[in-house]
Amino acid sequence: MTGPAPRSTAVRRVVAAGLLLAAGLVVCSASSAAESSAEVIARTQPKLVKIYGAGGFRRLEAYQSGMLISPEGHVLTVWSYVLDTDRITVTLDDGRRFRAELLGADPQLEVAVLKIDAEDLACFDLSEAVEAPPATPVLAFSNLFGIASGAEPVSALHGYVSVKTRLAARRGAFETPYRGEVYVVDAMTNNPGAAGGALTDDKGRLVGMLGKELRNSLNNTWLNYAVPISKMESVVEEIRSGQFVSRPQRAEGPKPDNALDLATLGLRLVPDVLPRTPPFVDVVRQGSPAQRAGLRVDDLVLFVGERLVQSCRDLVAELALVPRDQGVKLTVMRGERLVEIRLSTDAGGSDQ
Amino acid sequence: MNRRHGTVVLLLAAMLPLLWTLSVAVADETLARREQQAIRAAVERVAPSVVRIETVGGLEVANQVLFGTGPTTGLVLSSDGYIISSAFNFAARPTSVLVGLPDGSRVPARIVATDFNRMLTLLKIEIDQPLVVPEAVPTDEMRVGQWAIAVGRTFDGGQPNLSVGVLSAKQRIWGKAVQTDAKVSPANYGGPLIDIRGQVLGLLVPLSPSASEAVAGVEWYDSGIGFAIPLADVMKILPRLEKGQNLVRGLLGINLKPGNQFADPPVVAIARAGSPAYRAGILPGDRIVSVDGHAIGRMTDLLSELKRRYAGDQIELAVRRGEEQHAFTVELVAKLKVYEHPFLGVLPLRDASDEPGTVVRFVYPESPAAKAGIEPGDRLLALNGEAAADRDGLQRRIDALDVGQRVLLDLSHDGQPRQVSIVLGSLPLDVPAELPPARTKVAEPSEARPRVGTFALQIPEFENKCRVYVPESFRRSQPRGLLLWLCASADVKDQKTIERWQPWSDGLIVATLYSANAGRWLRTEAAFVEKVADAIQVDYAIDPTRVVIGGRGAGGEMAYAVAFANRQRYRGVAVNTAPLRVPAPQNEPPYRLAFYLATATKVPLVGQIEVTIRQLRSMKFPLTLRRMGEKARAMNDNERAELVRWIDTLDRI
Repeated sequence: MTGPAPRSTAVRRVVAAGLLLAAGLVVCSASSAAESSAEVIARTQPKLVKIYGAGGFRRLEAYQSGMLISPEGHVLTVWSYVLDTDRITVTLDDGRRFRAELLGADPQLEVAVLKIDAEDLACFDLSEAVEAPPATPVLAFSNLFGIASGAEPVSALHGYVSVKTRLAARRGAFETPYRGEVYVVDAMTNNPGAAGGALTDDKGRLVGMLGKELRNSLNNTWLNYAVPISKMESVVEEIRSGQFVSRPQRAEGPKPDNALDLATLGLRLVPDVLPRTPPFVDVVRQGSPAQRAGLRVDDLVLFVGERLVQSCRDLVAELALVPRDQGVKLTVMRGERLVEIRLSTDAGGSDQ
Repeated sequence: MNRRHGTVVLLLAAMLPLLWTLSVAVADETLARREQQAIRAAVERVAPSVVRIETVGGLEVANQVLFGTGPTTGLVLSSDGYIISSAFNFAARPTSVLVGLPDGSRVPARIVATDFNRMLTLLKIEIDQPLVVPEAVPTDEMRVGQWAIAVGRTFDGGQPNLSVGVLSAKQRIWGKAVQTDAKVSPANYGGPLIDIRGQVLGLLVPLSPSASEAVAGVEWYDSGIGFAIPLADVMKILPRLEKGQNLVRGLLGINLKPGNQFADPPVVAIARAGSPAYRAGILPGDRIVSVDGHAIGRMTDLLSELKRRYAGDQIELAVRRGEEQHAFTVELVAKLKVYEHPFLGVLPLRDASDEPGTVVRFVYPESPAAKAGIEPGDRLLALNGEAAADRDGLQRRIDALDVGQRVLLDLSHDGQPRQVSIVLGSLPLDVPAELPPARTKVAEPSEARPRVGTFALQIPEFENKCRVYVPESFRRSQPRGLLLWLCASADVKDQKTIERWQPWSDGLIVATLYSANAGRWLRTEAAFVEKVADAIQVDYAIDPTRVVIGGRGAGGEMAYAVAFANRQRYRGVAVNTAPLRVPAPQNEPPYRLAFYLATATKVPLVGQIEVTIRQLRSMKFPLTLRRMGEKARAMNDNERAELVRWIDTLDRI
């Protein structure tokens, strides 16, 4: 066949009407709650951008993901080394490329806001973000592994919210300054380049921002997670309005000048010979706070306050965070029983 | 039909899917919400039985897997405090175990027993309040494709964590496990895999089809391949575990005739002396047709039936022997007696012959054969009344027996039939100082032959170098032994390496193989070694009883690993000052493997080499030891000559 076949006017009208009807249906469904996943994904992908910046050596990727949060080109992303350059490039879903300006960043929340010079962009509205309880079906949008380039849309992954939990309530579990709630998901969402991508529910409503790759040092697995939008909304607003003042780095809990140690309490542990020597009490000094509180030789210290200590080293580190005048509760294993012991260094305050 | 109508019809046809999509989308919407609610309800239903486990003390690394200290998961099995978890969670051998109950309280737990077959550990806690016991999905109600939700309790806050998928398969890992594509990892090992109603399909564990350590299978975490032990199977073994009994795989004690295990029927090659199979009266040649009433068609059917059983289990075994069917009741055991290959005391002559039997080339002094008066030139015809057509037949027959067993041997001596009674001995460890020729006939000089002399062999896709020496006298009608010598250097800078073997190697083809990196061999280079062996075996006639791999230092360490990985091929490992760095397999009747270990006595590795010697000897492998002075060095001419003689004796019977 060569060229289009001739058609009568009547047929053309029918075709036009049909297309209108079809278009109407699509519009309807887009605004109703009954959208297919394909439609949700197609509608959401243009709200994501591909970000290129510093990196590209020593296995550090020079790209990440971001999401548009205003029609005039504000981009929310993760604060990382990728943004540590004068030349940040943002590529939209339609292939348009922009030089981006870094408006500001909060290294505590690991949040950054970029601005590109554009108009009428499809975008997320942070104030319409939703919560997602466990078992919520979710979609993750990001340029993981830098697969998409130019006018290619970002990748969509499907999964479920596994649990909402706090990161690193236990010291050293995760190497990130962020200390707050995250959504853990059961899809492999957090891969190189995915940071800054969007986690939405199955209707495309924003839930969170995908974080950097994070290894869970407690069980040596990679964590797939997103930070809830509610945690960053106010900071983003401050950055956008130019009112953001970078806060000083919050150290891991204030370390007291005058902290507790084993000698002050009057106890000695078994020699620390293994990477994880269990903290058994070896010697309790006569007349010491430990002895007065009833600590005994061969007690195994399990908790300092509410924190589990798994080795002699853990115990020393935990005590170093307790001011000397405050006293501390230890939970020890004595034979087959757990025993709580309240220790006070105040000489007058011995146990009755 | 005219064009107009056609178009309208087409258009309507095109719109139908749109309308359909819309209605489906509406249905989908409620479906999605219902799914979400159902998943949450299912998790909430099982949650009271899912506990958090924390450990104190223990190793940091076991079997090269770095262990976290993080919390893991367990599942309540009884209201009075029995809790089951994955043995993975205790591979680091913790000092203390704490169980965190769903209400947030913590209680100390005691490790009661471990199942080393399904990799489960039973814990016990003492509590006042009864625990909530979950419901199990009956195994026969499980359907591949049904919802499967993996549940753990390992994240901070104590809420259960979930991951959603389907049941991917049943009867996996020799029938021990079901498979799911829900994400299974240390975040939920020890937790339940549940269905959409919140009933338990199984207990999540790392498992591997090939390996059996507690950490095997961990490398598959979060991969979409996860395993769970059906809860019904766990309940079956609970009474035994409660008694503090550790459970291990049960062994029958048979070796099957080689073949394709996915296609060929299981035919007994050997019933190991003293094993349950042997005591029950199972004989070589028996074809196993059923286990506990389940029909057995292929070898893998049998393995599935056996590998999931425990020591102490009784099985009903039916075999076909000729036209008859026999039934046996057999109790499986935890350990078999270490197997040792028995020895008659002769070397066979290698002349091709049309006559049946095996002609004796050499009789080992002091051997059982020597004591029975067997002499070179005798033709061995039958063992215990059964004819042995040739050397291989006789060797197989003897491999099915045990050291110390008395046998009747029929032979012809100077043309006269004779019968002698012999008590089988152990394989010799010393190398005879001199050996008579292995052949009495010389090959036709005119016979065509492939390339001889020294030449380079290049294997495509490998950068490793290789040189081969084939003696001038080689003819295809006279198979040779093969020595693969692994050199831990990337360059063929030492051209002499292969020439050193030539004066001794008239009966042998020698190949020197070079590692890609100077000083070390990588495990991945095993494929190179195997391809060299393949190439030589295709082009030249090789006697399968005399294929030996060896090397010095790192080359020797590699030689052990390659030989263990392909036991069908290698009959000998010869090393110079190299300790064993991989686990040695059990000695088994169908796989003869002998070791020649030359070692210097004052080298840094001497301790590990002594351990190697003790280990191989305790496993009853024949090990010939050559001490070569204090300092590590290459073997000298005498030692090389002895090694070549040792290879010449590997077809011993």
